Amino acid sequence: MSSSVKSWLLALPVLLFMAVFAAQGLYRAWLESVQVDGAGLFSAYTELLTGRTFWASFGISVYVSFISAVLSVVIGLWLVRLLHRYFLRDDWKLAVWFPMLIPHFAAAYLTVLFFSPGGWFASVSASAGLDGFPILVNDPLYIGVILTYLWKEIPFVVLMLLPVYQELDWRMEEAARSLGAGAWTRFKTVELPWSGPVLLEVWLILFVFMLGAYEIPVLLGVTYPSMLPVLAFEWFYQAGWSQRPLAQAMMVVLTAISAFTAFLLLYIIQRSRRRWLRGGMRA
Amino acid sequence: MKSWTGLAALLLLTVCSAGEEAADADDLAEQDWEEITAAADGAEIGIYMWGGDEGLNAYIDEVVAPALEESYDITLTRYPMEAPEFLSRLRTEREAGSMDGTADILWINGENFRIAKENELLYGSFADLLPNMDAYVNEDAPYVETDMGIPVEGMQVPWGNVQYAFQFRGDAEPPETMEELFSWAEENPGAFTYPNVSNDTGAGFVRHVMHHVADDPEILETFDEEWLEENGEDVWRILRELQPHLWREGRTYPETLEQQDQLFSSGEVDVTLGFNEYRAESLVDQGTFPEDTQTVGLESGSIASTHYLSMPFNTTEPEAALTAINYFLSPEAQTAKLDPERWGEGHILDLDALSEEENDAIESLSGEEIVPQETILPELDARYVDWIQENWEQEVVQQR
Repeated sequence: MSSSVKSWLLALPVLLFMAVFAAQGLYRAWLESVQVDGAGLFSAYTELLTGRTFWASFGISVYVSFISAVLSVVIGLWLVRLLHRYFLRDDWKLAVWFPMLIPHFAAAYLTVLFFSPGGWFASVSASAGLDGFPILVNDPLYIGVILTYLWKEIPFVVLMLLPVYQELDWRMEEAARSLGAGAWTRFKTVELPWSGPVLLEVWLILFVFMLGAYEIPVLLGVTYPSMLPVLAFEWFYQAGWSQRPLAQAMMVVLTAISAFTAFLLLYIIQRSRRRWLRGGMRA
Repeated sequence: MKSWTGLAALLLLTVCSAGEEAADADDLAEQDWEEITAAADGAEIGIYMWGGDEGLNAYIDEVVAPALEESYDITLTRYPMEAPEFLSRLRTEREAGSMDGTADILWINGENFRIAKENELLYGSFADLLPNMDAYVNEDAPYVETDMGIPVEGMQVPWGNVQYAFQFRGDAEPPETMEELFSWAEENPGAFTYPNVSNDTGAGFVRHVMHHVADDPEILETFDEEWLEENGEDVWRILRELQPHLWREGRTYPETLEQQDQLFSSGEVDVTLGFNEYRAESLVDQGTFPEDTQTVGLESGSIASTHYLSMPFNTTEPEAALTAINYFLSPEAQTAKLDPERWGEGHILDLDALSEEENDAIESLSGEEIVPQETILPELDARYVDWIQENWEQEVVQQR
């Protein structure tokens, strides 16, 4: 058996699973989003893309997901670089991975408990004589949502990066140092060829996940603009199901955007992996 | 098991037929009540119902379920779910032809009943089969005939009556009319708000504003497009003018009633609201709401809402569901429902049909009258709810 046939066979269960769950769901969403009667086949799409509600939600969703994913990756990377030697020990690992065990909705409630105007930090700062604790929950800038995502996702970044740093050949680092490379050059030539692709992949996973996640924005977001999944849920269920085609059209558009971003990034990762490795060799 | 076979049926989009066909409403109409209860013996049934009220959950789990177990050997499981969600699930099951439903009883009313009826998600006309419907419910009452403008046709039976009321914390003189409420909100910036209209409590507040705009409450009982064209803008204008005085200056609204209750209990807002004028009592007793919580039914009028029990098209145990619903309507179950320590919710019994002891029991449990009979407003036609939900965000929230 040729190796490519074999690898397809090995992938078969996953492909089948995706066909049954993802593709079938997407197909049904597509069916419900096109209007066969009267209004015009793509009227839901026209209404969606010309309405201000969708674009406001789109803007806030991309903003929250982008910022949260970038900050998670940057802080995660910083933590791993700083502490990867300690993370060889299980108790350190457990401590940093702990937030991953908490479900997202519970994390949202913890944020309310600590950061809301009636919460723990507000009362501590009030008793310290400080007035005007900022509004960080259900705030129009979605700071509460971003904070919660950071707390949840930084451990995930650490989890994904740790093997890279623990496998890294640190003799390269010493060689670079003895050749007079500065901190940035050492990072770029020794670490980035290995950690770069992982960083981009993790960023992609986080970004697409946050774009489609419902629990945290529904608990900590605002009524308008709401993040896309919250809007989709509302359109899907309320007003006698009359807005369902809109919700389904939005899901189709969102899936297309996610898929496009993923292909673009994976393509970049493929290319830069080669370039980074070459760059690494040169050093 | 049940839900797994249901899921498999949905995924493969195949028509799955349960081994044993459940009886339909016409078959059951030919049977004696004794035969029906006998067939119910040992059955396991489920009820889909909103689960956001602790007192209500306690009433089902501690009163109804044990009684059904004891008297009829029926096991009742509660599936906490919001009505739009379980109706959506039923619709998918309808499309997939799945007759092996998870739940056998539904708790619905108004807009949700309309959706269920129009999409043929209900079992059929069963009200006439129930002995307690005949014996204890005044079948001439308007809410037996229509539910928010929709003919009921026996496809659901009334389970409870509640009034819309407001809870204020620590205010010696809370407002008593809508007009006073608006100026109260203005004088107490940030103290008042109402939930997103995607849920019934929020839409209920807007329905009160509509009554405030309408000269005659009867106008709103049937859907009138012309009235909306002439007066719809007034409704939105009032809400827009109210908006800057609300919690967080109206930049956001509580997503659910639970969230508003939480804000009320932590003191972030001074008002919460909702259907069921006695709902605060058990919450005060538990210490969730403050001691000085005061419930107010507005003198300018408070909407009375009836909610109902129905059966889905794909119940597998119709006999047991009927037996259980019949028990839900019994004086015993209805009286226990009044107990403010649990649910504290209004009954639907015809007081003339009850014995003196039963009347006494009801009187001893009914709390002080919060909404006087003469200020009760009729519920609006369900299609107004669609209008509210389709336009509120655009007309109010986005207009800042």
